[in-house]
Amino acid sequence: MKTIEEINQRIKDGDAVVVTAAEMTQIVKENGADKAADEIDVVTTGTFGAMCSSGAFLNFGHTDPPIKMTKTYLNGVEAYSGIAAVDSYIGATQPSRIPEIGIDYGGAHVIEDLIRGKDIELIASSYGTDCYPLTDLKTHVNIENLNEAIMVNPRNCYQNYAAAINTTDEIIYTYMGTLLPNMGNVSFSSAGVLSPLLNDPYFQTIGMGTKIFMCGAEGYVIGEGTQHNTEVQRKNGVPVNGAGTLMLKGDMKQMDPKYVRGATMPKYGSTLYVGLGIPIPIINSDIAQKTAISDEDIVCQIMDYGTPKRSKPVVMESNYKQLRSGSVEINGVEIETSPLSSYKKALEIALELKSWINKGDFLLSNPVKLLKSEGCSPRPLEIRRQTVLVNEIKSKPLITANPNDDIRDVAKKMVQNSINHLPVVDADQKLLGIVTSWDIANAVAKGKTMLKDVMTKKVVIAREDEPVDVIARRIDKHEISGLPIISKNNRVMGMITAEDISRLMCARNLKDGV
Amino acid sequence: MVNKAVITDLIKNFDVSFNILRADINPKGGKMLIEINGSEAEKGIEYIEKAGIDVSPVKRVVKKDKDLCIDCGACVSICPVKAIVIEDDWTVDVNDTECVGCKLCTYSCPTKAIKVVE
Ligand code: SF4
Ligand code: SF4
Repeated sequence: MKTIEEINQRIKDGDAVVVTAAEMTQIVKENGADKAADEIDVVTTGTFGAMCSSGAFLNFGHTDPPIKMTKTYLNGVEAYSGIAAVDSYIGATQPSRIPEIGIDYGGAHVIEDLIRGKDIELIASSYGTDCYPLTDLKTHVNIENLNEAIMVNPRNCYQNYAAAINTTDEIIYTYMGTLLPNMGNVSFSSAGVLSPLLNDPYFQTIGMGTKIFMCGAEGYVIGEGTQHNTEVQRKNGVPVNGAGTLMLKGDMKQMDPKYVRGATMPKYGSTLYVGLGIPIPIINSDIAQKTAISDEDIVCQIMDYGTPKRSKPVVMESNYKQLRSGSVEINGVEIETSPLSSYKKALEIALELKSWINKGDFLLSNPVKLLKSEGCSPRPLEIRRQTVLVNEIKSKPLITANPNDDIRDVAKKMVQNSINHLPVVDADQKLLGIVTSWDIANAVAKGKTMLKDVMTKKVVIAREDEPVDVIARRIDKHEISGLPIISKNNRVMGMITAEDISRLMCARNLKDGV
Repeated sequence: MVNKAVITDLIKNFDVSFNILRADINPKGGKMLIEINGSEAEKGIEYIEKAGIDVSPVKRVVKKDKDLCIDCGACVSICPVKAIVIEDDWTVDVNDTECVGCKLCTYSCPTKAIKVVE
């Protein structure tokens, strides 16, 4: 048994033995936890990953005449300024207000540019009051002339996180990166063996007031992060999926641009790569054992991000040794894996923190209150209005055509029923293709007569049990106007069109009084 | 130039998706830079060759900006030809000679560190 005070004394005397979490795994394997607890004082961890739930409080200082800012924009990115007169909070995922820029430059990029010491354009406006008469301003700020620039991240440093795969036949762009169709790749995020909260899985040493490495500066844990979850299934003592989280605070004026980066997940949004390292004091052999966890022992679920639902199906369970090897095998097929967070930087951070402690520059702190290790599980948000499924929409009676039909007959059919899309089916009502009025016009122009020569064979479809909102997004994405509805046994059941959906939305909004 | 809607037929008849990156067409002929993907990409290319179009793969070099790259690895598993690898010291490296210039890495990199130049 050791106390934090004893460890700090050893740090001050230059006697502390500090190792990284990766080194500790080896040490405990060779010498056992008891001996390791005697010999090792601190284990350093590290992670450098995309942490969307990040942002910063900025205080601009008062102007003359003064302004009570109600809207603020930093390099075109809106910051929340409903806090007093000259404070605002810039969030990492806020996109630029300029449509051409959008997610390519967001709050995360503003934060990085501030830390880099760059000048940032500030535009502010207000309604004007007796004591704050100024109603708008335009100026430049930078890290030097801001009174305070304090990074406060509501949810960072996830304890484990599910890996992502895509079982659909289209490429998808997610916060887990680009996911290739038909399970073409796996993307994972956690730093595994180096990940801070996997090395203290029951929060026996980490809590409010724990001093940490935050983007190259000293920072602090200020409590559990939002969505902190202690009830996730565990294997080998660690959760198999996203679980505990941290709320953190650090002074941006001290931060090093090497350990923070604004980034953009394509077609998703901007996010902040945050470099974090947490020292784990080895106060007893139990903690020594916990920090000895290996990549192989940390289980990670691979989930299907092709399902745009809250609970995504688990495709398989893997571990970080496998994931980091470059491929996993699913149903006999080798699938390439790659990380989303930088292991190189994570290791750099663990080593940097180790050298700070070795030099006596960084003492450990006793947390005021340990993080909750039980009884926390975030509740989902239930929406008042029920999602409507495709088969609940009233669609027109089903009209189909056969591949050998004459185009003139098909054209007649479409005109008579005033429809623009016609699914082409075989004798069993199985989908073969689709034809639109544009295809027909095109066929007539080219002198073609058989339907099968002009129909489109690659068809975007809707399943009966899919929510209409998902179909709306699909229609948008593929720039199409209608999709055939396909049943579980692959029969064509009807058509759902953009018109059907907008009619539904209108009715819904009327009812809700939107 | 071939007097036929070759491209239109290509999309209709084969399971391919493609991007027209550049088109330079005049009454006498022209050139198009296209990117063909999908399960029948090769069959599709064969088809347009048969239709009388000269097809030649584009030579490109892929470059990674060391200062912008954070060695996250997000580009590694999406490369169709395994041209991007993670080295022993966890640095992400691109192998120029293997690259086929598909640009999937360029598009997916969160820091826009990797570029394909023709
Ligand atoms: S995705 Fe971009 S930042 Fe990440 S390793 Fe590849 S080139 Fe570097
Ligand atoms: S352009 Fe395509 S082939 Fe070349 S390195 Fe990038 S992903 Fe690989």
